[in-house]
Amino acid sequence: MILHKIVEKSLNHPKSVVIIYALLTVIFLLQFSKISIDTDPENMLYNDEPARVAHREFKEEFALHDSIVVGVVDNTSPDGVFTADTLNRISDITKEIAVIDGVIAYDLISPTTTDDIEGSGGVLTIEPLMKGAVKGSSGALAIRDAALANPILKDMLVSGDGKAVAINVPIRQKQESYRISSEIEKIIKGHMGSEEYHITGLPVAEDTFGVEMFRQMALSAPLAGLIIFLLMLFFFRRVSLIISPMIVAMLSIIWVMGLLIGAGYKVHIMSSMIPIFLMPISVVDSIHILSEFFDEYRGGTGRKETFIKVFDKLMTPMLYTSITSTVGFASLALTPIPPVRVFGLFVALGIMLAWFFTLTFIPAFTMLMPERFLAGLVKKAGAGETKVGQDGLMRRAQEALGYLSLRRSRLVLIATLIIIAFSAYGISLMVVNDNPVYWFNKNHKIRVADRVLNQHFGGTYMAYLVLNGKTAGLVKKPETMRYIENLQRHLGTLEVVGKTTSIVDVVKKIGFELRDRKEGSAIIPRTSSAIAQYLFLYEMSGDPEDLYHLVDPDYKKAAIWVHLKRGDNMDMKSVMKSTEDYLLSNPPPPGMRAEWAGLTYINVVWQDKMVSGMRSALIGSFVMVLIIMVILFRSIFWGLISMVPLTVTIALIYGLVGWTGKSYDMPIAVLSSLTLGLSVDFAIHLVERTRQIYREKQNWTVTIEGIFDEPVRAIMRNAVVIALGFTPLLFAPLMPYKTVGVFMAAIMAVSALVTLVVLPSIMVVLKKRLKA
Amino acid sequence: MMKKIFLPMLLLLIIPSLSYALTADEIVERSNLAYYYAGDDGRADLNMRITDRRGRVRIREMTLLRKDIKDGGRQKFYVYFKKPSDVSRMVFMVWKQVKGDDDRWLYIPAIDLVKRIASSDKRSSFAGGVFTYEDVSGRRTSDDTHELLDDEQYNGKAVYVVKNSPKDTGEVEFSYYIARIDKKTFLPVKGEYYDKSGKLYRTISVDKTGLVDGIPTVLQATAENLSRGMKTTIEFKDVAYNVGIKERIFRERYLRRPPKEVKR
Repeated sequence: MILHKIVEKSLNHPKSVVIIYALLTVIFLLQFSKISIDTDPENMLYNDEPARVAHREFKEEFALHDSIVVGVVDNTSPDGVFTADTLNRISDITKEIAVIDGVIAYDLISPTTTDDIEGSGGVLTIEPLMKGAVKGSSGALAIRDAALANPILKDMLVSGDGKAVAINVPIRQKQESYRISSEIEKIIKGHMGSEEYHITGLPVAEDTFGVEMFRQMALSAPLAGLIIFLLMLFFFRRVSLIISPMIVAMLSIIWVMGLLIGAGYKVHIMSSMIPIFLMPISVVDSIHILSEFFDEYRGGTGRKETFIKVFDKLMTPMLYTSITSTVGFASLALTPIPPVRVFGLFVALGIMLAWFFTLTFIPAFTMLMPERFLAGLVKKAGAGETKVGQDGLMRRAQEALGYLSLRRSRLVLIATLIIIAFSAYGISLMVVNDNPVYWFNKNHKIRVADRVLNQHFGGTYMAYLVLNGKTAGLVKKPETMRYIENLQRHLGTLEVVGKTTSIVDVVKKIGFELRDRKEGSAIIPRTSSAIAQYLFLYEMSGDPEDLYHLVDPDYKKAAIWVHLKRGDNMDMKSVMKSTEDYLLSNPPPPGMRAEWAGLTYINVVWQDKMVSGMRSALIGSFVMVLIIMVILFRSIFWGLISMVPLTVTIALIYGLVGWTGKSYDMPIAVLSSLTLGLSVDFAIHLVERTRQIYREKQNWTVTIEGIFDEPVRAIMRNAVVIALGFTPLLFAPLMPYKTVGVFMAAIMAVSALVTLVVLPSIMVVLKKRLKA
Repeated sequence: MMKKIFLPMLLLLIIPSLSYALTADEIVERSNLAYYYAGDDGRADLNMRITDRRGRVRIREMTLLRKDIKDGGRQKFYVYFKKPSDVSRMVFMVWKQVKGDDDRWLYIPAIDLVKRIASSDKRSSFAGGVFTYEDVSGRRTSDDTHELLDDEQYNGKAVYVVKNSPKDTGEVEFSYYIARIDKKTFLPVKGEYYDKSGKLYRTISVDKTGLVDGIPTVLQATAENLSRGMKTTIEFKDVAYNVGIKERIFRERYLRRPPKEVKR
């Protein structure tokens, strides 16, 4: 067979193999310098995705920019930030922020730059809230009161409780938000008083995430490598045994990442996790080969022969475990989410590379090792049973598992069924949700800023409901205005909505101030010419471009700004659902259509795609793996049996997600592929070994008991190595990494347990009908 | 002997000062009078075309009446809007003051209301375009310090290049602006405004001039906001000077009942 030829070739030319790999690795390493990071949630959709195109067009049409929010609060003063000193400091800070390169100064929303309208004594004043230095506390409080009397500014610029101020800093490029926010921090440091400053906004979160991601990649993956190394050292006691599997892992990671970067892909949060996923998966095969090698090897010159023997035995299961893992990850290409696709395909590629390295590099490297390194191992291996005795804990666990499946097999199966039922219910409870801010730990400064700001203000998460009309001037009609007013009122009743703003608020505010704030005058005028003239008045006195964030210059379209308190997709989804219902029973004015835009909306779009995409990926890969299993074992029965561990594990893991209330988000979604790939490995090894033993012993009882020796030990070892290998992720400051770490350990534990307890139990129960 | 040396030296001193015969302050003062105070009064129909960054166009049409109370001093303006049609009959009136804020009124015909508008911000947009109030009614020459940088040929015209820096930087959005002023007519030719970080962000160019009643007159000007990608062109039509506009029409009650001069 060709694969065996490859092994032989590597055994015969070990030096060339190692040199070629070293050279290629250098080439792939060189690609790393081209790395660029992508943390833009919009990229969860393809660039030409209709929702995204529409969103971009909307932003361009209404001149809306990504912005950084600087929230100012002061808990030490009863008036919050509304003291002359604090306001003057905020004014100085704003001036300096305005000249930062990349800041769109003219769209800055701050007390000194944003116009307020005020009518009294027959005079209408349109001026920034704050002009020149504020004097005394009465001056400061007057500014607060003016802002609170302005429904457009209230809860956006000034908090509804009258204590805090938020400066909205629009920026040209969101890729620059980390730099700009760092400059803002520097400016703030030069003006500190008793007030606190909180910097947030989605672009900051994204960009900061990118920066942290770099750190994580440089830290977590090597740390995972180290832990895996130490664990294997603990199990196998010899550096010389585990050094080549570690090299195989490193090679696969470097090649895959080098290929990814070299091919021009940006490193997204998903692809940044490739090394961590590849590390344990790629170690596993080579460990199998090597431990088998040292079991067989008796020193002297027989290395080549030993390897050929080992590969004879393990080639098939190795090939199949690699193929199934590959299928598991490659199935992610069935999702319509670009970063998930890239992640899946490159992990799949990495697994196949690792498999190939195991075939070529491991024999070559071992051939080149001086005999004295191997001698020690042989002796140890020769000591035989002591190796098993060394880990007493493992031994006892092994016995307990054996007892359960051999003596209590019916109980085990009943318990499994109960667990499946329990999981099924849990899955029904599962909440699909994601929120980029949750990617940070609870006490990360971005999470803190997010909490503080959304507690004080109407909400920093923006969605836009655009009413799209066909005829010019439609928005200026009183009917349209009234429709928008009612729609806003409806949106305002939703708990997750903190505030809405539209052109109607501007018109009502102007009317109110024109009538010197007479009670009941904050209403929509009866004629469109009055509406037009109010708005023209604003154009004549304030910044006319203010209006064009809310309407288009032809007055065909109006955008309702919807402020959400949280960036949770489920919140946005509930708003969308409720709006849809409202629109059905209250259709918009003739010729008008309502459409959503904004990042919160985009997030919902890709999330929906992800959920349905993951479903087809899971089903697709399940079927593929089943077919592969049937081919491998040439038996439908054994094929089905080997699907049991992964089925139970996936069900239980997602059941637990549902029960604990943890949201089904992106990292959780891709875990199903990982589970699929890794759990089936255990099953393949177990089933394959079982059938080998049966062929020798021809007795099921003896066979099943025999499983609970070496095969079980190997599987347990693998499970522990992989599970613990992910523990460094638990200390990551980024939540997706943490999630993967926790679930990885759980997946390994569960699938190992199921493989070792449930599979033998099934065999015990079905003993009479089993065929090898 | 002394004379022979002295005379060329004297000439060397005199010749440059001849070409710079006027000081920067004088140039700016004369330009202000030529552009904003031509005749004792004046009228013009303004066609304003606002083009935004997406090429979307807004049209404004209005008639402007001006009465000088004192040359280089107080003035009164009456702006009667004709288009777009839903704002027609709106009137904007300004009493330009020498000290302190100008007085402004706005008449809103749809609700028949005259409102005084208090705004100390003369840098805000005029009628929604890139031109500001100051661009239309003139910026007080005493608000800036003036420095004559150069004289040069610009678009076939001999011009003075004057740098104007605001005395109160907190009042305005620019850090300075460079004006090119036609040496012959003293009409401005080009204005370039630099923002607080020193970047050119706004320009005004005079596209077309002509003689009206023997007075050099700007017939078309374009203002551009480079950072916003906006452009506004004003065309001045039916310009006339010394048409005998009475000061009494610049009163609240004439806002409701426009004078005959707007209806030409």
